[in-house]
Amino acid sequence: MSLSAKARMQFMKDLGFPAMLALAKKTRGKRRPRQANPDFGPPLKCAGRLKEIMTRHYYLSRFAPGARPVAWVTSGAPVELLRAFDFYTMYPENHGALCGAQKMGPELCEAAEQEGYSPDLCSYARVDLGHFFSGKTPAGKLPKPDLLFCSNNICQTVVYWYKVLAHRLNIPLVLFDTPFNYGEINDTDIAYMKEQLLEMIPVLEKVSGKAFDLERLLKLAELSKSASQLWGQCLETMRARPAPMTIFDAFIHLAPVVSLRGLPVARDYYEILLAELTQRVAQGIGAITNEKKRLMWDNIAVWYKVRDFSELFAARGMNFVAATYTNAWAETIQHLDMSHPWESLAKTYSLVILNNNLEHRLKLMEKMVGEYAVDGLVVHSARSCKPYSLGQYDLKRLLSQRLGIPAVVIEADITDYRFFSEEQALTRLEAFFEALEAA
Amino acid sequence: MSPSQLPTRSEYLKTWRGGGGKVCAVFPAQYPKELLWAHEVLPMEVWDPPQEPARATGHLQPYICSVVRQGLELLLAGGMDEVGAILFPHTCDSLQNLASLVADYLEPPAPSLFFYNPKAPFAAAAQSFYVARLQALDEELSLIFGPAPEGALEEALEWSRRLAGLYARAYARRAAGELKAGAAEFYAVLRGGEYLHPRDYVPLLEAWLERASATEQGRGAALLMSGVLPGPPDLLETLDDLGLRVMHDDLISMSRRLLYPPPEAGDPYEALARSFLAMPPCSTRGSSLAERLAWLKKLARESGAQGVVFSVVKFCEPELFDLPELRRGLKQAGLPSLVLEVDVNQEVGGQAATRLEAFGEMLS
Repeated sequence: MSLSAKARMQFMKDLGFPAMLALAKKTRGKRRPRQANPDFGPPLKCAGRLKEIMTRHYYLSRFAPGARPVAWVTSGAPVELLRAFDFYTMYPENHGALCGAQKMGPELCEAAEQEGYSPDLCSYARVDLGHFFSGKTPAGKLPKPDLLFCSNNICQTVVYWYKVLAHRLNIPLVLFDTPFNYGEINDTDIAYMKEQLLEMIPVLEKVSGKAFDLERLLKLAELSKSASQLWGQCLETMRARPAPMTIFDAFIHLAPVVSLRGLPVARDYYEILLAELTQRVAQGIGAITNEKKRLMWDNIAVWYKVRDFSELFAARGMNFVAATYTNAWAETIQHLDMSHPWESLAKTYSLVILNNNLEHRLKLMEKMVGEYAVDGLVVHSARSCKPYSLGQYDLKRLLSQRLGIPAVVIEADITDYRFFSEEQALTRLEAFFEALEAA
Repeated sequence: MSPSQLPTRSEYLKTWRGGGGKVCAVFPAQYPKELLWAHEVLPMEVWDPPQEPARATGHLQPYICSVVRQGLELLLAGGMDEVGAILFPHTCDSLQNLASLVADYLEPPAPSLFFYNPKAPFAAAAQSFYVARLQALDEELSLIFGPAPEGALEEALEWSRRLAGLYARAYARRAAGELKAGAAEFYAVLRGGEYLHPRDYVPLLEAWLERASATEQGRGAALLMSGVLPGPPDLLETLDDLGLRVMHDDLISMSRRLLYPPPEAGDPYEALARSFLAMPPCSTRGSSLAERLAWLKKLARESGAQGVVFSVVKFCEPELFDLPELRRGLKQAGLPSLVLEVDVNQEVGGQAATRLEAFGEMLS
């Protein structure tokens, strides 16, 4: 790491970014405010703070190379370990969501397809590879990584995808292999995962040039745990009627727990968000003005349709109050125990929803339906995500039968809207609305 | 022996079961077949059963690959009604979820067994993890089929060593042009191992190798095949008709599993673990692209292949992700490649034949 790069990054952190932010605020002040939609309650005040945090994260990342080791990381990887070595971490999946929301999915996917990547592959991966090949991104510029850190607890796809990056960039790929839980997790699996974590240390020391410090890891893990717990509490506020935010808000507000987990900024942000949500609950302020029906969402968001869907449902007095996806960054954090850091990291990351069998998911969904008083289920069959999607037809059928709630499957994709038929989705949703309103 | 003399899968299973034999259906790809043999259980591999996927469509989205679809169709159509267990190795996301779907919700006719393979780059802990997984599977097999007789695992490892030797001989002879068999015949015979017990298969394979061993004069372009399966059948026939010679392959169902370093003497579990970890690189095991590329180049060099045909099953993520970098690396090494995206058991058709012909002409 060079001193000049470190000084430049520090300067940007202390002066450059605050100055840029002040300028942006001044410019924004001159813009006409967007007309309020009467179907929605007042917007969350801390949305501005969220934008600031994420913009700062992406902006400062440009100055990270040379100042700090840079790692690209999958959303379900035990990032606490990287933080102990002071890695600046970037999340291609979060970047993929950003590109999807900015409707850049097809453009970037095509850039990957021109290099030979099949349109049948995960579109987060194609967006990321498309960005890699074309340099295009709504985030300005992403830093090149020194290391790739990947866990297959969310899918095997990330392994295939990161292998491509490792090959192209000729940099180390560190894999945290988490045996899939067909049944209960067992000691063999935990021992295997613990050994892998310990084996990573020399690699991370070599790439970062820093010696491992267990105390530092424990502190960072504590921060990570706090952020995830707070995030879980934020989601729990949606048990209130009316719910103080929608899942469409949560899709956006989960960015810090995904990308900044283990840093004070993430914990601090969720303290603010939780305070605001709690206050809204106390004051009876709902995310939508006329909450008549409460819904649950299954799978990753349809990023290019978040606003449209949120308006479509809000107009009918339907609010999404729970999602298996947003819940994923809170559901296993109770396993993180600083007195057994390695075993508990293994359990925390291996027990996430996508590394478990379908029965586990069904039970979780049943529990959430009860706890959040859900009236109906919308299942996003995401072409990009096989582990999230294969089995959904049966999950939908079983949940509907067991709980007697209407459910619908919409076929779409997370970022590539070339695979989304608006008409087909709306036709299915209309039938769902009818069933729900009749229920 | 010719391929037509091989007992068909249904004939063989009928005879096997008629003699009181036990069967375990096995989904792709890598699994410790020796453990099944030790329990006197016949592994019946499920790669591409020829069912029309009607029932499976109610459970699977259209973007799920045909290997998974056909396998589920076979199960739903009653094709596994008489097996004693169904084994699901952890191969990819789709097979992982299929295993859970079947076990949790589809009331399978037999108990489901799961086998998680560690993924590359293998941590030092992978060996002991794999051993523990073998032991766990062994225990589960004992519960279902009864304990393996004394010495049965050692005997199974001996079968494995003999088979590995025969596979290696078949591949080496073909690569050296010493096997008088086209692609259709070669793969029909070698795929016999997907359902024949080595007690019956080894003599057949030996006889075939004896008969087919003859100097094969070079005709058309020499190819290396990569991908998932040696098929669909008409693809192999097309290759033979066009005079294109498949000198070697890097197929998941074939050389990536068959050309394994045979288990050595000593503790059988440790030996099986070492064998697994030393198998040829494979996308489904997480092997790096550098390893895979080096392996492909080695196979091409040693077999004299002039180009590579990738026969990839549609929606197969592990293979499709590796493809562009492999093709780029092969091109840099002067090895042109052709990609055919196929569904299992679906005819590749005239367009593919035209492309293969053009590819062969380009190589000649």
